[in-house]
Amino acid sequence: MTFFFQNVVNALQWGSFYALIALGYSMVYGILMLFNFAHGDIFMVGAYIGCGVATVIITLSSSGVIVLPHWLILVLTILISMFLTSFVGMLVERIGYRPLRDAPRASAAITGLMIGIILETGNLLLLGAQRIKFPSLVHSTTYNIGGVFVTNKKIMIVVVSIGLMLALDQFVRRTKYGMAMRAMAFDYVVVPLMGVPINTIASMTFAIGSALAAAAGILFGIAYPVLDPYMGIIVGWKAFVAAILGGRGSILGATLAGFLMGFIEIFVAMVFPSTLRDLIAYSIILLILVFRPHGFFGEPYSARLRL
Amino acid sequence: MEANSSKKKGRISRVRHWCSKHFSDVPLLSWLIGAPVAAVLEDFVGTPLALGLGLPKVPVLFGFVLMLKKPLLIPSILIYMILIYILPVVVTAKLTAPLFNRLASKLLNVSGRLSVVIHLLLLYAGLHLWSSISAYRLLTLKLTLIAVMVTLSLNVINGYMGEFSCSHPGFMALGAYGASVFTVLLFVNDKIFGPAHLPAYLAPYMFPIALILGGCLASLGALAIAIPSFRTRGDYLAIISLAFMFIVKSMIENLEVVGGPRGLSSQPDLAALPIVFIWAVLCIWITNNFVRSTMGKALNAVRDNELAADAMTVNTRRTKIIAFLFGAFWAGVAGGLFAHVLRYVNPGTFGIQKLAEVLAMVYFGGLNSVYGSILGAVSLSLLSEMLRPLEMLKWIIIPLLLILLMIFRPTGLISFKEFDVIKLIQPRNNSREKS
Amino acid sequence: MRKLLVLLLSIGLLCLVFTPVSWGGKNVIKIGINAPLTGDIPKVGEGTKYAAEMWLEDINKEGGLKVGDKVYKVELVIEDNESKAESAVKANTKLITEDEVLVIVGPQASKQAIPAGEVANNYKTPMISPWSTNPATTKDRPYVFRGCFLDPFQGPVIANFVTKEFGFKKAAVLYDVASDYPKGLAEFFKKAWEDLHGPGSVVAFESFTTKDADFSSQLTKIIKSGAEFLFTPQYYNEVALIVQQAHELGWNKPIVGSDSWGSAELIKLCGKDCYGLFFSTHYASAGAKGKTKEFIDRYKKKYGYVPDDVAALTWDSLGIVKTAIQNCGKITGNIEKDRQCVRDAMAKIKEYKGITGDMTFTEDGDPIKCAVIVKISDKGEFEFYKSVCP
Repeated sequence: MTFFFQNVVNALQWGSFYALIALGYSMVYGILMLFNFAHGDIFMVGAYIGCGVATVIITLSSSGVIVLPHWLILVLTILISMFLTSFVGMLVERIGYRPLRDAPRASAAITGLMIGIILETGNLLLLGAQRIKFPSLVHSTTYNIGGVFVTNKKIMIVVVSIGLMLALDQFVRRTKYGMAMRAMAFDYVVVPLMGVPINTIASMTFAIGSALAAAAGILFGIAYPVLDPYMGIIVGWKAFVAAILGGRGSILGATLAGFLMGFIEIFVAMVFPSTLRDLIAYSIILLILVFRPHGFFGEPYSARLRL
Repeated sequence: MEANSSKKKGRISRVRHWCSKHFSDVPLLSWLIGAPVAAVLEDFVGTPLALGLGLPKVPVLFGFVLMLKKPLLIPSILIYMILIYILPVVVTAKLTAPLFNRLASKLLNVSGRLSVVIHLLLLYAGLHLWSSISAYRLLTLKLTLIAVMVTLSLNVINGYMGEFSCSHPGFMALGAYGASVFTVLLFVNDKIFGPAHLPAYLAPYMFPIALILGGCLASLGALAIAIPSFRTRGDYLAIISLAFMFIVKSMIENLEVVGGPRGLSSQPDLAALPIVFIWAVLCIWITNNFVRSTMGKALNAVRDNELAADAMTVNTRRTKIIAFLFGAFWAGVAGGLFAHVLRYVNPGTFGIQKLAEVLAMVYFGGLNSVYGSILGAVSLSLLSEMLRPLEMLKWIIIPLLLILLMIFRPTGLISFKEFDVIKLIQPRNNSREKS
Repeated sequence: MRKLLVLLLSIGLLCLVFTPVSWGGKNVIKIGINAPLTGDIPKVGEGTKYAAEMWLEDINKEGGLKVGDKVYKVELVIEDNESKAESAVKANTKLITEDEVLVIVGPQASKQAIPAGEVANNYKTPMISPWSTNPATTKDRPYVFRGCFLDPFQGPVIANFVTKEFGFKKAAVLYDVASDYPKGLAEFFKKAWEDLHGPGSVVAFESFTTKDADFSSQLTKIIKSGAEFLFTPQYYNEVALIVQQAHELGWNKPIVGSDSWGSAELIKLCGKDCYGLFFSTHYASAGAKGKTKEFIDRYKKKYGYVPDDVAALTWDSLGIVKTAIQNCGKITGNIEKDRQCVRDAMAKIKEYKGITGDMTFTEDGDPIKCAVIVKISDKGEFEFYKSVCP
């Protein structure tokens, strides 16, 4: 039984990354109907920015310029990095997506893919080939709860990501901008005619998605403290699967699908020989889509591609 | 600024005008005869000329690699290019134009097919002579032809049918492994598959069967995507196909029989240039006929509006399944050729990286267009070889180029254009007749 | 248009006048380096490149490479293989037919070295892969050599070491199923361990896929299996994650590794979690003596970090190349003859004294080398613990 619960804890942590990254995909996808294939790499950039910010703050703090408690360092790092990375997202939107808003969707997907490659290679050129260790922001303490090992990091990661998801949900539901976003997701053509500034909303969508990716990047850095320029590719593509699986533009859907991906991967490896993990995990996803062809929360609308 | 740019535009249009004035009456046949002439010239005087111009040896891919490594040599390389390629081709084309116009029209009158075959033979002669100078050229050429096949087969699904399929590396992997297992099993003394079952001289004759087998295996795999595509499309299909790609890769990694992640090597050396060329031509020809048939129109109808297509008596299920099987088949054949050109395959080759490469070629060249796919595959393959000396910067420049292209031509270089062979090979003396 | 042509022609003529006529030609020995500068493992490419450049510096300091009684200039042609098999084949073909190199050093990882070795062998060009431990790289290829020991040797070394040192009976293995080096070594280790302790003594044989970051599910299974130690033949970046996650899940038994751990970055990434662990490798950087120490110090001074095993092996491979060329006696200028000559000289090398140990090639072109067991000290240094020879 402890074996099972241990894996539940593992899956919760792993799923929160998928969920957080999938939200970024889902925002852009739901509102602008575009695949943002650069998102996995924005996640990578976010992790690197987080690493830089954390290093600066820790150095300042330890050299006595401003002495801060540990939790404040963590909060400041997350907030500042989210803020900085949102600009990366807006830049990506301005360069790669705004000029292509009326073009076929697939073209925009290609520019996203290419921006991703530029971000990876640019990082490699700037920082060189060595991998970077993420500074330890949280001192790891392990609790043994009846045979189940839980670290304070794991709890923090799950709590922070669920908190961010709730905050996003509230933002989209309660604020004026959130309403504009929902309206755009509902009808992309007419709503701009009603005086909703499409460029502002598009920028904001990308900014929010990227900020969430940055938060995911920092949490990822805390849990798996080795950063490399190609770290965002596989996680990004898998989160993309989760975002679509959740249904178009559904925050709840993307969150649940992200956690589901985490649970599938962890539990398949638990039950079956782990060499077959990818094979079985993706077969399950394929089967889900065969029987629920429009994801979990997506309405069965006829997705007419604007080609 | 504006005046300058308009001046520039004026100059460009003047050059274009000059070209069309002097070369509009040159038929394709004359251009194609120019290619072997240039290649023969390079064969005979290339090396002395290159050495004389101060180049270390014959520039292999139009001198780009050398230009980037030693910029001082750029003028010499340009002179070489002009003397060996541009001048002979232009001169031969211009000189033979009147004669070949008559010949082309006669050939066309006798039989269109014959004319096409002669054109292809000339093209092959040019490529063969060009690539015989260096093994590196030959390898690049073969891989480029294979890239054309893959791109074209993806264009059928992504361009003509308007899906966003991400499974092509998976199809290629199936084809590559299918064909490799067949040939290794039958013709190679392998430690996994035991001694050869058939004598080696039969191998070239059985190779087409191996490739077709690989293609069929890929088509079989495509059913896993085609059947869900009845009920869903667009984004959901994109992730179904992505999942399929991961599944294929993981499956091969777990199959110890074919070497698992270590890959499968020691394929017999069967994919010579003529074989690759013939398959590439077959692929282009059949695909072109396919997309110009009623089937192709049905594909476009499904893309533009599935419901309307259904109402207009297009059998959408059949259309979708055929398109997927067709695209996968050619991807599988290309995969089989790929495995036999490299004589090694491993599952790691057919991952996200390959996917990005193939997608880039399709969208760079142009959707819904055979021309576009050929152009996209050739230019990106050559570009990525030519920019080799830049090392990492290469992966900044190529993506930037693609982004710019997407911004200025969102559907690719040549999109939505029909590939009309007869129009291409007909004589070009209309202007004279008019005057 | 005509003006343009005239202009171009005149520029060309000017160039002709100014280009030095002796374009290198016969007095240059070209050595090709096929390395993964971009792609999955750029750090490996960097180490290769740096070691090669340092080696060239030495040659240039002496004014060139002396073969017989003539001194030749040495030129390195470095090609990026993007960590892809097809790209490695293209790069090798280009090096051999275009650049006409005499010898090729690289590719490093087996997934590129196996197909690239085929090309080198077909063109009868000697190639030495410093780091590829898969038997297939050199098998039945007289022109292909390697600079390191093989997986079938390393697996038993570790199994024997653990049995003697700790007296354990039950082993667990965690490896990357999609990468041939860890997979191969994991399987050889499993076989060796089961030969020692009977079938079923490897109680957990778990895997993951390249680029995974979360191993919690597999580690939970391993902990449950009751294994006495964990063997993980992974690259150093993954080791940092595995060790840390294992400790967080309550694992406090030994973790043992292989030569891919041997990077200075391991300690930087892993920190205190890795102290006290053992792994087998080609050389131990801490406490190294003589030439090895000299190499490490020079590399560290020049590039700012302690060289990985890849750099050391590349250095040795280049040393072997140099010896082979010199043993060959003379360079005729006929590239095919010279290549044959270098290949024969290389196969004949006896007990080459390298910084990673003494090397003599077998029939297959594999060196017979000793492995070193290294302990990570409490200061985070790789300390020599034991040497195991075949």
